[in-house]
Amino acid sequence: MTTVISTRGLQKHFGRTIALDGLDLTVESGEIHGFLGPNGAGKTTTLRILLGLARASGGEATIFGRDPWTEAADLHRRIAYVPGDVSIWPNLTGGEAIDLLSRLRGGTTDKAAYRKQKERLCQVFQFDPRKKGRAYSKGNRQKVALIAAFATPAELYLLDEPTSGIDPLMEQMFNREIDQIAGDGSTVLLSSHILSEVEELCDRVSIIRAGRTVESGTLAELRHLTRTEIAFVHDPAREAAVTAIPDTHDLVIDSGRVRFTVDSDRVAGVLPELARLEVRGLTVAPPSLEDLFLRHYGDELAPVEVEVRA
Amino acid sequence: MTRLVVLLRQRIRRDRLQLALWIVGTALLAYASITAVYDTYGEEQDRREILGVAIATRTILVFRGTPNGVDDGAFAFFLLFAWLALMGGLMSTFLAVRHTRAEEEQGRAESIAATPAGRILPTTATVVHGVLANVALGLLIALALIANGLDATGSFVWGAAIMVSGIAFLAFGLFAAQLFRTSRGANGISVAFVLAAYLLRGIGDAAGTPSDDLLQVTPAWPSWLSPIGYGQFTGAFVENDLTPLLIPLAFAAALIALVFGLQAVRDQGASLIAGRAGRATAGPVLSSSFGLVWRLNTSILLSWTAGAVATGLLATSLSSVVDQAATDAPQVLETLRRAIGSEASIEEAFVAVFYGIVGVLAACCAIQVGIRARQEEAHGTAELVLGTPVPRVRWLLEYWIVGTIVIVIVLAAAALAGIAGAGSASDPESLIPNVFEAAAAQLPACLVFLGLTLLVFAFLPRATIPVGWTAVGVAAILGTWGPILQFPEWLVDLSPFAHSPVPAGGETDWTGGFWMLAIGLAAGAAAVWSMRRRELASGG
Ligand SMILES: Nc1ncnc2c1ncn2[C@@H]1O[C@H](COP(=O)(O)OP(=O)(O)OP(=O)(O)O)[C@@H](O)[C@H]1O
Ligand SMILES: [Mg+2]
Repeated sequence: MTTVISTRGLQKHFGRTIALDGLDLTVESGEIHGFLGPNGAGKTTTLRILLGLARASGGEATIFGRDPWTEAADLHRRIAYVPGDVSIWPNLTGGEAIDLLSRLRGGTTDKAAYRKQKERLCQVFQFDPRKKGRAYSKGNRQKVALIAAFATPAELYLLDEPTSGIDPLMEQMFNREIDQIAGDGSTVLLSSHILSEVEELCDRVSIIRAGRTVESGTLAELRHLTRTEIAFVHDPAREAAVTAIPDTHDLVIDSGRVRFTVDSDRVAGVLPELARLEVRGLTVAPPSLEDLFLRHYGDELAPVEVEVRA
Repeated sequence: MTRLVVLLRQRIRRDRLQLALWIVGTALLAYASITAVYDTYGEEQDRREILGVAIATRTILVFRGTPNGVDDGAFAFFLLFAWLALMGGLMSTFLAVRHTRAEEEQGRAESIAATPAGRILPTTATVVHGVLANVALGLLIALALIANGLDATGSFVWGAAIMVSGIAFLAFGLFAAQLFRTSRGANGISVAFVLAAYLLRGIGDAAGTPSDDLLQVTPAWPSWLSPIGYGQFTGAFVENDLTPLLIPLAFAAALIALVFGLQAVRDQGASLIAGRAGRATAGPVLSSSFGLVWRLNTSILLSWTAGAVATGLLATSLSSVVDQAATDAPQVLETLRRAIGSEASIEEAFVAVFYGIVGVLAACCAIQVGIRARQEEAHGTAELVLGTPVPRVRWLLEYWIVGTIVIVIVLAAAALAGIAGAGSASDPESLIPNVFEAAAAQLPACLVFLGLTLLVFAFLPRATIPVGWTAVGVAAILGTWGPILQFPEWLVDLSPFAHSPVPAGGETDWTGGFWMLAIGLAAGAAAVWSMRRRELASGG
């Protein structure tokens, strides 16, 4: 396995605002890497540095082992990019914009194959390429960038909140396209604050906050940090036995139902207890990254918004 | 009624600074210009001479008005009325679009349409607001005239004529806002309408029939197509006749009635000129980033070229009139020589003045190409292009190249138009090299403006648009009016236009041109080179 993206102590200052404060990120070849963080965490800034649109104030970043700032144009032959807030040319139709971007990326040498792929993607995303840019909604502008990104194969896809404007059905289609490019061995870095999306797609995740990496690992590794929620119907006579179950947290006994959480790696230990109690209507909710997210930021969310250090 | 008052008050509050500047500024301009006119043309003899020259050469009439004698008021009316009406017209159309289509475009109108104020009432409020603005403008101008010691009746006729032409333009702005989906489109067509109205009356004046004493002109029919033309028909200070104003008023009333009709039947946000379905695949032009830059600038290029062609045509076709006047009345020739400078022949001086205007147009076109680079960056589309294998340096270099190409095209189009117009001249062969040289002489100054705009883009991106336009505006005023208004020489010399070579008497001094060429190329190259180290500065 080779490293495709690597940043060490990446720094970015905008005047007095510190957008990135020592960000470490490693993405291996063939990985679908989720890049998670709350608003203003520095996801877009990181992607723009990786693309050579912005220059790091400190630290280092490499893509395919090369400098994204000085060798931007060369690297872009291997990269497809979808910006977070897609703007397109008001006077060009969507189809013209897609063709232009694909041609700039050099992806139209095989004209017939390209045309087929473009038509397929327009159909998949239910996109009308004949409208003028100014007439498209936010979601449709996003589709222009997505179709242009998928129409030409790339080794690395940098996607900044790619599904933030499109509807759930289109999101399904998006996931399918990602599966396909992953099958071809491409690498994907996908920023998001939609956690379910990352859970569904990604092999590994990095979580950042205020310009710093706070967690990085496979989903399975991160699940160790979360808790599973267990609920069942309660028999009032056995309340004492319920409270005696070991390792439970946040126990609530409420009008005939019991709810508590267990550290995810302790679930197996709790199950025999539940069998002994002969509980009914049992539900075991797997941990979501939402929980992880809230556990990391729950108590810190408020200050994050106003954090501007001199 | 109370709802109308609320909407009206909201409009006045929103516009108060902008309208105050516009109205007071225009009135002050009237006041100051009249003072200057009396300083320069205090003697009746001076006025006779300048009117004689203007009527003999005709072109001056395009940019002035209808000569109507040498009395204080009538002479000022001749010099200033059309300009002031132009200002009032732009004020009115911008106001109309700002409170209608622009609101709708941004979705603000929707929230008002959902309230009991409905859809008709906001338009009513905009009409009342615009009429009030024009009343204020007319009144203030009348007062400025009276303060200059002019007769009150004539002053009020002048003010009324400004007001009525402004209301006609207001109506057109409202109508354009119904037609177009975007405020940009509506503003564009409205500005074109105001300029066309100005030019039509200019052509009417230039093509009119002069009186025997060369002090008055009866305008030709094109003036009858222009609200500003009807304003001139009042003959303020002489005839003082308000009846011609009924026609633009009727025009405004009919158009506003139509606007209410359209407003009632169309959907919120929709327009009468619907967007057509476009092409699904890109043509061959959009195969490279250079092709994109070219495509993004073609409409800009077309409009400035049209202006340059018209100016070039005027320059030489009118020179035959000049020639005619010179043979018919030798004393006119004498006057012209004195006014323009001794070295150049009359035709040469004519060509020089007109191709100076062409130079300003070409510079504006080049600046707009530079500004387009900034718009691409701020809008976020530059990010899409720079995310592909297009190097930053090459990206800006392409804007520089396209900017240079558009300058050459605008100048060449003006030169060709000049040659086409020279057919009627007495000696077309001698005029042709002169026209070519005069057009080429504008290139260096234009390159300076292109280089400056790109340099600002590279180092102070957010200032690109204001600096670009301000620079060319100030330089054009200094370069064209500075010598006439006798500004200090160092001030005039700040303007690149003042250094453009003037082909005259068979010999042309190109020193200034070479210097500017060097400066322009250095600035452009520095801007392009600096992209090696420049980040994308989106937003703002
Ligand atoms: N051009 C800029 N000038 C000044 N500050 C900036 C600029 N770009 C980003 N920032 C700041 O840097 C920080 C990180 O912003 P960034 O856009 O990278 O966050 P993000 O994680 O992408 O957020 P979101 O989820 O909202 O897209 C924010 O505090 C933002 O205000
Ligand atoms: Mg972002």
